[in-house]
Amino acid sequence: MFAFSETSEKEIEKQLVKYPPERKKSAILALLRIAQQQNGYVSAEAMEEIGRRLDLSPAYVESVCSFYTMYYTRPVGKYVIMFCINVSCHLLDCDNLLEHTAKKLNIQVGETTADKMFTLLREECLAECSRAPVMRINNDYHVNLTPQKIDQILDSLK
Amino acid sequence: MPKKTQTETVTLTIDGKTVTVPKGTVAVDAAKTVGIDIPVFCYHEKLGPFGCCRMCLVEVEKMPKLATACTQAVGQDMVIKTDSPKAVKGRQGVLEFTLLNHPLDCPVCDKGGECPLQDNTFEHGPDLTRTEFTRYNRDKAVPLSPVVTIDRERCIACQRCTRYSDIVEQETALVMVNRGFQNRVQTFQDRPYDTRFSGNVVDICPVGALTNTTYRFKSRIWDLDNAETLCAHCGVNCNIVVGVRSNEFMRVQAKSGENSQANDAVDDGWICDKGRFGYGFVESSNRVLKCRNGKGDTLEANDALGQAATQLKKITDEHGPQSVGFIGSPYGTNEELYLYQKLFRQQLGTNNIDFKTYRQTPGLPVEHYDVGDIETSDMVLLIASDPTEEAPVLDLRIKKSVSFFDVKLAVLNDQKTDMDKPAASSLRYNVGSEAEVLSALIEALNDKPVRGLEKTAGIAPKQIKDLAATIQGSGKVCVIYNPAALTGSASDRILELLQTIGGLPDKQCGAIPVAPGTNAVGALDMGAHPNFYPGGLALSDSEKIKTLWGDEAPLQPGLSALEMIQKAASGELKGLVVFRANPVVDFPGGPTVAEALKKLDYLVVHDMLETETTQLANLVLASNGPGYDDGTTTNIGGRVQFRKRSLVREDHPPDWVLISRMIRALDPEAPSYKNSFGVTDEISQKVPGYEAINKNAIKGMGMPRKGSACSEVQGNGAPAAEKSENGALRLRVANYLFAHDKILDASSPLSHHFKSSTVYLNAEDAKALGIETGDEVKVVSGDAEVSAEAEVSDRCNPGAALVPRVSDEQGLMALVGDPDAAVWVQIKK
Ligand code: SF4
Ligand code: SF4
Ligand code: FES
Repeated sequence: MFAFSETSEKEIEKQLVKYPPERKKSAILALLRIAQQQNGYVSAEAMEEIGRRLDLSPAYVESVCSFYTMYYTRPVGKYVIMFCINVSCHLLDCDNLLEHTAKKLNIQVGETTADKMFTLLREECLAECSRAPVMRINNDYHVNLTPQKIDQILDSLK
Repeated sequence: MPKKTQTETVTLTIDGKTVTVPKGTVAVDAAKTVGIDIPVFCYHEKLGPFGCCRMCLVEVEKMPKLATACTQAVGQDMVIKTDSPKAVKGRQGVLEFTLLNHPLDCPVCDKGGECPLQDNTFEHGPDLTRTEFTRYNRDKAVPLSPVVTIDRERCIACQRCTRYSDIVEQETALVMVNRGFQNRVQTFQDRPYDTRFSGNVVDICPVGALTNTTYRFKSRIWDLDNAETLCAHCGVNCNIVVGVRSNEFMRVQAKSGENSQANDAVDDGWICDKGRFGYGFVESSNRVLKCRNGKGDTLEANDALGQAATQLKKITDEHGPQSVGFIGSPYGTNEELYLYQKLFRQQLGTNNIDFKTYRQTPGLPVEHYDVGDIETSDMVLLIASDPTEEAPVLDLRIKKSVSFFDVKLAVLNDQKTDMDKPAASSLRYNVGSEAEVLSALIEALNDKPVRGLEKTAGIAPKQIKDLAATIQGSGKVCVIYNPAALTGSASDRILELLQTIGGLPDKQCGAIPVAPGTNAVGALDMGAHPNFYPGGLALSDSEKIKTLWGDEAPLQPGLSALEMIQKAASGELKGLVVFRANPVVDFPGGPTVAEALKKLDYLVVHDMLETETTQLANLVLASNGPGYDDGTTTNIGGRVQFRKRSLVREDHPPDWVLISRMIRALDPEAPSYKNSFGVTDEISQKVPGYEAINKNAIKGMGMPRKGSACSEVQGNGAPAAEKSENGALRLRVANYLFAHDKILDASSPLSHHFKSSTVYLNAEDAKALGIETGDEVKVVSGDAEVSAEAEVSDRCNPGAALVPRVSDEQGLMALVGDPDAAVWVQIKK
C-alpha cells in the first residue's frame, strides 16, 4: 500500500493552495514528483492515490506520468544515468560511449545494477549540445565525455 | 461541441462556393454543408475540435501555412481552398507519415471496406511507399476487454477513443500512455476496459485498431445486410444498425455519423454495451420456436392461436368477463400491446389488462419532455432513478448536459449512484421515505415551513429548502424519475410535485418517467392498464370511450397484474394470457406466483424465450420478438420510432399477425393488416395523442406523440413512516444493467459482467449485526431467504439493506410481498 509521508503531505498542502479547488488537477506534476521523491519511483498505488486526491482517474495519472521520462514507474538505483543520444551527441559517438558504460556496469540500457547503485537510461536532448557528448547523473551534468572520463566518474561514485 | 443557440452567421468561400454558417463553425463542418468532404481522422463532431492528426490540412488565403480545417473556425469573407496543389501535397505528406508503420493488412482487417484510413489513402494518399526500413511492429489482437480488441500496429494515435472516454463517457478509463511513436492506447495498468459504454470506441476508431471481438473475422462488411432499427433493451430506444449475413446475426453498431446519421433526439449516436453486445438472444438456444400445448405437443401457429382465442372466450361465456385477464410487458411493441388490449376489451369484454407491478397511471400534469429537452433545461431533477443501470444512454445525455450546457443536476435518491458525481447537489433519503421527502419538497416550494425529516428520511429541512430554492430559481426544469422505484403514495406525490413546479411563476416544467422496459410509455399509451383505455382515457370518460370503442366497451375497472395473480390464487380468475413476461421470477412473491398460476384453468404464455412461466403454461405461443418483428415503440421521451426487423422468420407469423388472428378468430369482421404499419394506422385513429403517427411521419428521427394530461392529482399529505421492528432493515431492490437473466444468458459475450448476489449494508447496521464485508449472509423475510455476500458501504442510509437484482437465479423477488408495503428483512449470518 502506498501512503504519503508526513513530509510529503506538508509539501502537497503547499502545492494545492497554488490552484483554485476546481482546478486542483493542475497539481498533478507536483504530486507525481513528491511521490517519486518519497519512494524513488511512482508506483501504481501512488498513481491511484494521486488520482483520489485530485479527482482524476488513475488511468489519467498514468498517462501523464508516462509522458515524462523523468518520472520512473519502476524502482531505480541510487544514481540514475541519463545518457543523451540526440543529434550532437550522436555525431560525437555517444552510441559507443553508452555501450561502454553499459559494459562497465554490466547491465543493459534500461536496467539497474544488482547492487541497486546505478540505473542506465537513454535520454533525448539534454540541452547541452555545445559540450556534447553529455550524460546526466541525478542532478549533475557530465560533459565532453570520453571512455576514461566515464570510468573516473563511475568509480568516484562507487 | 455545438452550442445550444447560435444565431450569428458568417459567409465565406470554400473552393469557390459561397457558404453561410453559424459563427464558430469549424471549416470541416462548413465544407460539409456544401458537399465538400475534407478528410479527417481525429475530428469527430461529438468530440469537438482537437487537431492532432493533421489529415484535414487546407489552404486559407492570407494565412502563411496550411491550416487544420477541423480546428479552424470560419470567419467572415474567409477564402478556403481544399484542392489547391499546396493543400493536396500537404495532405499527401501527412498520409505518408500516418502510414509509416501501418501494416498492410487490409485484406484481413475487419475495418476494410468501411475504413477512413483506407478511403483517405485511396482518395488523397501517395500511391507508393518510400519506406525502406523495417516497420515498427507492435502487438496484434490484444484484448482490451472480453468484447473489445486492439491491434496496436493499426492505431494511428488519433485519440478519438481516449477523448471519447474522457468527454463522453467521462470515465477517462482509456488513455494514451508514453509518447512519440511509442504511445499506446491503454487502461490503467492494462486492466479490462469494461465501462458501460466501451463498445462505442469500435465505431469511432477511424482504422481497424479497435474491433468488436464478437465480430472479428465473421464477415466482410460488403456482405452484410444492414437494418437501421432500435435497441430493445431499455426505454431510451437507441438507434442501432444490425448487420446480418444470410439471415444470420453478425453485429450491432450505433447508428451514427459513421454509418448513417445519428439520431440526436434519442441517443446522440451512442449506445451502451448491452445494446451492442447483448443481441445474442435472437439466436439463443433457449428460444421458443414452435407453439405447443401443456403436454409438449407441437402445434401449428394458426391452430394454437385459434385454440387460445376460443378457449378464453369459452371461459368468459361460462364465468363472465372478469374471469380472464392479460399480463403484458413493457417489452412489447405498441402494435402488439394495442392489439392485445383490443382483444381483451372488445372480444372478451374485460379491463383485466396490465403490464407492470408498480403504481403508475397514464398522463402527466406537465409536458412530457423529449430527451433533447434535457440539454436545454436549466435544471434536471433526478428522482429515484439510476440511469446508468436502468437507461444507460440517458446517463451520457445528462453528463453531457451538465458539462457542456451548464445544466444544474440535482439528485434525490435513496441510493448512491454514478449520477452523484456530475450532480451539483445530491440528497440521499432513507429507503422507503420518498413520499415524505416529496411532500416536504412540495411544501417548501409552496413556501410553507418544512417539518423535521432527519429521523424518518435522513434529510435536513435546510437541504429540502435549498433544493426548493434551486428549483424556484431555474427557468426550465426537467424532472426525470423512475416510477417503479417509488413506493406507497409517492406515485401520487411525484405528480403533485410536477404540478407544483409547473405552477410556479415563470416556470417551464416537463417530466421524463424512466420505468424499466423498452416501451413502458407505449404500454401505458396503448391502454395496458386496468383503469385506462388507450391514450390515457380514464374509465370515467365513458362518452369518449363509447365513441371510440362502441357501446359495448367494458367500463368496469379491471384487475391490476398483481390482483390477477391474487385472483388466480383464489380461483376467481380462470384464464390468463402472459405476454413476454416472466411473473414467476419477476413479480413480487416469486414462488407463490407460480403456485397461483398453477391454479388457473387455462394459462397461455406468449414469449420468445423459455422461462419459468412458460413451463407452467397450458399453451405456449411462440413469439418472434425484437430482431424478427416490425413495430413501433415509444421511448422515455414520448418519441415514437420504428423498430424494423433485421432477421426474417418465414415459418412463424409475427406477433402482430398472431394477435390480430386471435381477434379475427372471435370476430371474422375484424380487420386484417397488410403489415405492422396497418396496425400503426389504426392506432393513429384510436389512440388519442397518436393522431400524427404513421410510417412516413416517424421515418428517420421518429416523432413525439402527444402526451395526455393526467387525471386529477390526489393530494393527501405525507404518509406516516413505517417503523422497523426487531432491528429489521428495509429492503431496497436495485437494478444492475448486466443481470444474468433470459436475455443475457451464460453464453452472452457480456457474461464477464455477471455479478454474484450482494447485500449492501450501512456501516452502522453492519456493526450492530456484527457483519463485515465479504461475510456470507442470508437476507430473510418471512419464509423466503436469499443468499448474498455482505458489503459494508455508504450506498444507502442506515436502516436499509440494498440488494441489486443480479440474476434470475438469485430469487430476489421472493422476499417482496405487496410492492406498496415496506419489505422488512433480517440479515442472518
Ligand atoms: S485506437 Fe483507434 S481511435 Fe484510438 S487512438 Fe488509435 S486509431 Fe485512434
Ligand atoms: S441505453 Fe438502452 S436502448 Fe440504448 S443501447 Fe443501451 S439498453 Fe439499448
Ligand atoms: S482531423 Fe484535423 S487535425 Fe485531425
